[in-house]
Amino acid sequence: MTTEALGAQAGAVSGDARLLEVEDLHVEFHTHDGIAKAINGVDLHLDEGETLALLGESGSGKSVTAQAIMGILDMPPAKVPKGQIRYRGKDLLTMPVEQRRQVRGPEISIIFQDALSSLNPVFPVGWQIAEMFRVHRGMNRRDALDAAVGLMQRVQIPAARERVRAFPHQFSGGMRQRIMIAMAIALDPAVLIADEPTTALDVTVQAQIMSLLKELQEERGMGLLLITHDLGVVADVADRIAVMYAGQLVETADVHELYRAPAHPYTKGLIASIPRMDMKGKELYAIKGLPPSLLRLPHGCPFHPRCAWAQDVCRSDHPDLREIVPGRRSRCHFAEEVIDD
Amino acid sequence: MTSNVSETAHALEAGPEGGDTDAVRTLKGDAWRELRRRPLFWLSAVIIAVLVVMAVFPGLFTNTDPREAFLGRTRESPNSDAWFGRDVQGYDLYARVIYGARASILVGVLASVGTALVGSLLGLVAGYTGGWIDALLSRIAEVFFAIPLLLGAIIALTVMRERVSGYFMIVGMVVAILVVFGWPSIFRLMRASVLQVKPNDYVQAARALGASPLRITMNHILPNALGPVIVVSTINLGVFIAVEAALSFLGIGLQPPTVSWGVMISDARTAIRSSPHVLLFPAGMLSVAVLGFIMLGDSVRDAFDPKSR
Repeated sequence: MTTEALGAQAGAVSGDARLLEVEDLHVEFHTHDGIAKAINGVDLHLDEGETLALLGESGSGKSVTAQAIMGILDMPPAKVPKGQIRYRGKDLLTMPVEQRRQVRGPEISIIFQDALSSLNPVFPVGWQIAEMFRVHRGMNRRDALDAAVGLMQRVQIPAARERVRAFPHQFSGGMRQRIMIAMAIALDPAVLIADEPTTALDVTVQAQIMSLLKELQEERGMGLLLITHDLGVVADVADRIAVMYAGQLVETADVHELYRAPAHPYTKGLIASIPRMDMKGKELYAIKGLPPSLLRLPHGCPFHPRCAWAQDVCRSDHPDLREIVPGRRSRCHFAEEVIDD
Repeated sequence: MTSNVSETAHALEAGPEGGDTDAVRTLKGDAWRELRRRPLFWLSAVIIAVLVVMAVFPGLFTNTDPREAFLGRTRESPNSDAWFGRDVQGYDLYARVIYGARASILVGVLASVGTALVGSLLGLVAGYTGGWIDALLSRIAEVFFAIPLLLGAIIALTVMRERVSGYFMIVGMVVAILVVFGWPSIFRLMRASVLQVKPNDYVQAARALGASPLRITMNHILPNALGPVIVVSTINLGVFIAVEAALSFLGIGLQPPTVSWGVMISDARTAIRSSPHVLLFPAGMLSVAVLGFIMLGDSVRDAFDPKSR
């Protein structure tokens, strides 16, 4: 099936369907030590032109969520026992493999954390960007290369026409991430997933990459799913935030609401642990303890061993993700108290 | 904002490199630069070039017919007429050494290319798909790997020797048998390097951007996994030439009237004590050829391996 046909088909059912909707997603990894439950019922949605930040520490399931949406999890060992991922109303998980491959690139695209290892070392960068046009658009070599130069200029790579034949290792980290971005947006996807796009970069370059992403998103009306563990990055860019812990969402909120008054002890801890200028000289707050092993999640609320609010009910009952105030959900028995604290 | 960012980007990132675009360095480019500086490479290149010309145009080196026997001048020592002397049958050794190059080079090159193709293809399939296909191919490879190359070739050739005739048929059969018993080493090598390349982020990225499995293997995995196979195949070339000579010596590879170094060494058996030159010239040529290819393999390996620089 051609990309156009697929697009038309997807468009036909779009009606009132959301751009991207994840419902009750479960992902587990079958390892020698047992089953690691990496994602345990995640619900997300993303609209056109919107930026949703998925926040969480290492091992909370952010990247696995992204890989599940992209369909690039290695199965086995991964398994998706339950859930739906709908793109314009169509479930990606039940889609035939070949049809799903056609979604990757032209419809949903991704940028990885480490841009050096995400580029093939043996081909010039221009060739790699042009490959997108040759494969999906059937362009000839010259046209594809011209289009690649255009994209490199768009992502602000200086002297793009001269550098189109250079190899990935000849670029700096920031420039490589720009090339990765050029590849990801080449086919004008409706959804762009950015999996920690600035983690491997130094701070000045981080800001440039983030503003480039923001700019491209506004220009093309893409839905941006920004995966990060950096609260500082999120504040400027995101519209909504979803916080993950132990493979579940623990809080979702509008970005300003969340910063003003977090409704989950974990989010509260994260915000308290941001270094601040007016706290100079004082000890930096840290959430004590470690995230739980995904092989043996604790009974009740997975966060209770590290939580200051924990009561008996937290050790026995697993809290639901409930709506605290309209538009805000929190997975905490004492959400109301936390938010007022 | 846009122009601002772009200017900063210019200053911060492109600045130090000064936008150099002329000195594009690639692995192949670096390897070639490295190779050019090695005398060993040039020595082996010259030997191989001469041998190849010899194999293709033997007439350039001699006007004597290698099959013209002067029984009255048998075992003649090297002289101005027959530079390398004559053998038991009174053949001109010099002419035969020249004409013998063709069989050796043909078998060596074809067997190397054959094992490289078969081994790489199966290794690529096994490494990329994994699972039961990988398990099955690996076990089959191990079965063949357990049989020594020479022993396997002796058994197979003894059984099949009678069924074929004609120069190219016999050469083809020897090559086929060397490929059948020689592919597992290339297979293992390719499979291992595919497994090493496969988890790289750029393979994942290609997948995430909608590349088909065929495109991923051909464009992203194969070019990054091919290096070791090229090196080992070059070294194998010398080994195959030696094996071919051994088989001919044993009388089961190429056979008279085909002229090959192995056949000549075999013919020399009866005369070694009284006239050693009958053995020395073909054996010497064989050693030089094998040495040439192994030296080439060594230099290529060193040039491609960044650690040895």
